[in-house]
Amino acid sequence: MSDALRQSLDLSLFWEYRQVLLSGLLFNVYVFACSAVTALLVGLAAALLRVNRSWPFRWIGTVHVELFRNAPDYIMVVWVHFVLPLLLGAIIGRRLEFHPFVSAVIALGFVYSGYFAETFRAGIQAIPIGHVEAARACGMGERLILWRIILPQVVRRMLPEAVNQLVSLFKATTIVSLIAVPDLMYNVSMVTATEMRPLPLYTGAALTYFAVIWLAATGVRLLSERWRSKIYA
Amino acid sequence: MDATPAIRVVDLRKSFGTLEVLKGVSFDVDRGSVVSMIGASGSGKSTLLRCINFLETPSGGEVYIDGEPMGFRTDATGQRRLQPLSEINRMRRDLGMVFQQFNLWPHMTVLGNVIEAPMRVRGMNRKRAAALGEECLARVHLSEKAREYPARLSGGQQQRVAIARALAMQPKAMLFDEPTSSLDPELTDEVLAVMRELAGDGTTMIVVTHEMGFARDASDRVLFLHNGLIEEEGPPEQVFGAPRSERCRQFLSKHLQ
Repeated sequence: MSDALRQSLDLSLFWEYRQVLLSGLLFNVYVFACSAVTALLVGLAAALLRVNRSWPFRWIGTVHVELFRNAPDYIMVVWVHFVLPLLLGAIIGRRLEFHPFVSAVIALGFVYSGYFAETFRAGIQAIPIGHVEAARACGMGERLILWRIILPQVVRRMLPEAVNQLVSLFKATTIVSLIAVPDLMYNVSMVTATEMRPLPLYTGAALTYFAVIWLAATGVRLLSERWRSKIYA
Repeated sequence: MDATPAIRVVDLRKSFGTLEVLKGVSFDVDRGSVVSMIGASGSGKSTLLRCINFLETPSGGEVYIDGEPMGFRTDATGQRRLQPLSEINRMRRDLGMVFQQFNLWPHMTVLGNVIEAPMRVRGMNRKRAAALGEECLARVHLSEKAREYPARLSGGQQQRVAIARALAMQPKAMLFDEPTSSLDPELTDEVLAVMRELAGDGTTMIVVTHEMGFARDASDRVLFLHNGLIEEEGPPEQVFGAPRSERCRQFLSKHLQ
């Protein structure tokens, strides 16, 4: 076995630094959770604009989706952290700086809101109009219909697709190390700088990401399938 | 006894673009009576029913529920103004509607479907709504299915749940829009049987139907619609036995074969 290969498979160094690395991973989870909530809320709002009856609203929704779905997350993270504060600062007339964590959540939240908006929209349009008419005929108002009749069905329909997008979002959290959010990748780079042994550290990081994502996604899929099968028997 | 009809329709008109579907329809539905609407596809029956509870907004004319105008108010200057949606929704509570496609909400159990509107619209607490829901399910003979999801029921059972859902709002009248048209013949009977029971209990009903047997035996009055107008109207014995209109006679001879 070559030296390089043996080194990359020796994870004792990874184990040695487990506490630093674990705290990094928790940061990934934290960034993921906050950007997922942002992406879902903004995505839902954009989807509701996209299915609105009046065209100016639909147009705003479409611009949002196209803009953020086609923006590379890498560039967005850098842009939101370094350029957006300058722009906003110029508008309000004072110096502005974003905490790296805030920049990461805004950037990833908005990029993924573009994807979630399309998933929500497809889910909303798949609901038969008769379900809405039945609710109207019972005297239910439009907001009640959205929360009680449309969204619960949309969530069930979009779950498989949404899980895939959440997996992508979790993977995308690794780029926040770019703007010095102390996540797992950032901490790996720091340890590598002092230990000068990148191979086991990066291998360990890759395995950790794989294990966490695979376990979470499989768990969610199993649970959601059982839940969905009840209504689509 | 108060002689105000449960539903009064006056000169109702509806156009979709340049297509005039209803050309001025007027009729009354007395309390406790059953009115069947028959006619060829495209004659405007379903549109008429949907205009009564404002699922379609009429282009002209008036609808009164228990004497109260539905959907429009005339202001001081004599102009007709559409009422806010909240006001339309308040009056829709009094009209139960049953659709051709059942339209049950698939993410809720059978009981969930039945008690949703009583709880969220009428503000009933869960316990009271559940008791009422069980009672309505018993009326359609589906008490044992309360905890099932709609996807596990047959078409006929789903339609009976839809009837129970409408009954749970304790409406002043029930509107049926071709309730058996998407059912196999053997499932049609169970739904018609429930509807006959409701009619027997004195429920005010308007039924758009292709089931001539039901229209003849279970209704107090039959309306035959043609090209957006009432072409023939009267008690079933007259409409089925001695129709005055030639078109009605042709329609019936085709459908009674």
